[in-house]
Amino acid sequence: MATATAVPRRRNPVMLIRSPLVARALFPVVVVGVWTLIFYGLESQIFPSPARVLDFMWNEVRLETLARSNVYQTFLLSLIRLFTGFAIAVVVGTVIGLAMGLSKSVDAFFHDWVMATLAMPALVWALFAGLVFGFGSLGPILVTAVTGIPYVIVNVREGVRNTPRELFDMATSFGVPRNRMTRHLLLPSLLPFFFAAVRYGFSIGWKGLVLAEVFASDRGAGWMIKYWYDAHRAYAVIGYAFFFVVFALFLEKFVFDRIYARAFRWRPQAGTVEVVEEAAEPSVQQPTIP
Amino acid sequence: MAKIAVRDLRKEFGVGDERVVALENVNLHVEGHVFVSVVGPSGCGKSTLLNILSGIETPSSGTVEITQDEEDAHPGYVFQSSRLLPWRTVMDNLLFVQRNPSSKEARERCQRYLDMVHLGDKGDKYPGELSGGMQQRVGIARAFCIEPDVLFMDEPFSHLDAITARSLRRQLHEMWVETKKTVLFVTHDVGEAVELSNRIMVFAQGGRLIDDITVDLPFPRDPSQDEVAVAKAHVLRKFEELDLVAT
Repeated sequence: MATATAVPRRRNPVMLIRSPLVARALFPVVVVGVWTLIFYGLESQIFPSPARVLDFMWNEVRLETLARSNVYQTFLLSLIRLFTGFAIAVVVGTVIGLAMGLSKSVDAFFHDWVMATLAMPALVWALFAGLVFGFGSLGPILVTAVTGIPYVIVNVREGVRNTPRELFDMATSFGVPRNRMTRHLLLPSLLPFFFAAVRYGFSIGWKGLVLAEVFASDRGAGWMIKYWYDAHRAYAVIGYAFFFVVFALFLEKFVFDRIYARAFRWRPQAGTVEVVEEAAEPSVQQPTIP
Repeated sequence: MAKIAVRDLRKEFGVGDERVVALENVNLHVEGHVFVSVVGPSGCGKSTLLNILSGIETPSSGTVEITQDEEDAHPGYVFQSSRLLPWRTVMDNLLFVQRNPSSKEARERCQRYLDMVHLGDKGDKYPGELSGGMQQRVGIARAFCIEPDVLFMDEPFSHLDAITARSLRRQLHEMWVETKKTVLFVTHDVGEAVELSNRIMVFAQGGRLIDDITVDLPFPRDPSQDEVAVAKAHVLRKFEELDLVAT
């Protein structure tokens, strides 16, 4: 049987490509291929080859850098700022989101401005923070918080609105005490929304942070990208961007996925969250170099 | 002896001009080891009655009184859908409604009722891992495991396929005989009501209780028995006389 199924596969490469695992592995190969083609097509002095970028990254990892701080120090500082800023976003966003979900007048008070903040380019916050707070850590932290807050608010509010009325009625009819209801009914029902808020708000906050570091800092990952830009080192700009990709993948696979699998092991099929993405992507978000 | 007494009950929903009367001038008295079905067309306030009796909703006027042997005990409630907490295991769902969930007695009691609905080995499963019929059996076990004298059931088998519903009706009847509870059972299925109950209360649109029929047949009743069919026809004829059948 095994050979019988293997034979047509070998004959038909399309079938092989269709397997999700191969398709996934194929993506970087295609990217590097197209990249190489462009490199030879352009014959540009600035546009780097994949090998040049990899070489830069390898040197950075081995602490051989021209910049004044190495990749570890840079990312450590950015991470501390990110976590601080995002912690603020989670606390403030949860409080406002809860209040908006529970009270119609609080919802009316904040609603339009939450939506407006969602649409606000992080660039504006970054420039503003640079002007007001100078080149310290405070600016980037606040920008991270401000860009993350509306996402946390929107998701937490949706979670509160979607609390399962039927289950609360059930608990009431059985005379379940209030604190047990909060712990075993209210909080677990909010968890998927809270989780979506954290996951999504985190990536948004990260983008805000990088932008803030370009304009309102003299250290950190965003600033380093700007540094290499000023030095006309395209390979280094791309190399740093790849450090971000690696970091984001790591976070996704080893942190979020694991927490998720643990928190939602009761779900028949893991891997699907009801992510509430109102105003899916704000207009300007990518850490673009001016 | 458990007792349910309802006096001059009225319930309306909505505000201003858009008021809907769900229950109007309902009086009833149920006592002891009886199985009472509440039947009527949809929207006649059957479920509202149970929700008021179980404290989920409050009456607009009138009083309800439930007397159980244990003073501050809550009645058991089986809902139309199982209403289990999806993030807790079957056993934890039963413990959730216990007065003292951490006690050994509570756990043993829950296990006993899981055994009674033939799910004794499913305690550590999540509801999502069980079939609809099994989930409903867990819901029944949950209502029994607080050992109430009074039990409310709101169309508990209406979402299930005919064969599963039939087998659950049998199990329910056996548990009722064994545990001697006072049961108030809401259904729109006259056959189901005749098969299970001693008394059938008929509600009409606008939430009025318009008839109270005693069904005096020996248990167990099988829908194929002549007497059961005759009794069912009798109740249905009452429906027609009272013009309750939707045209």
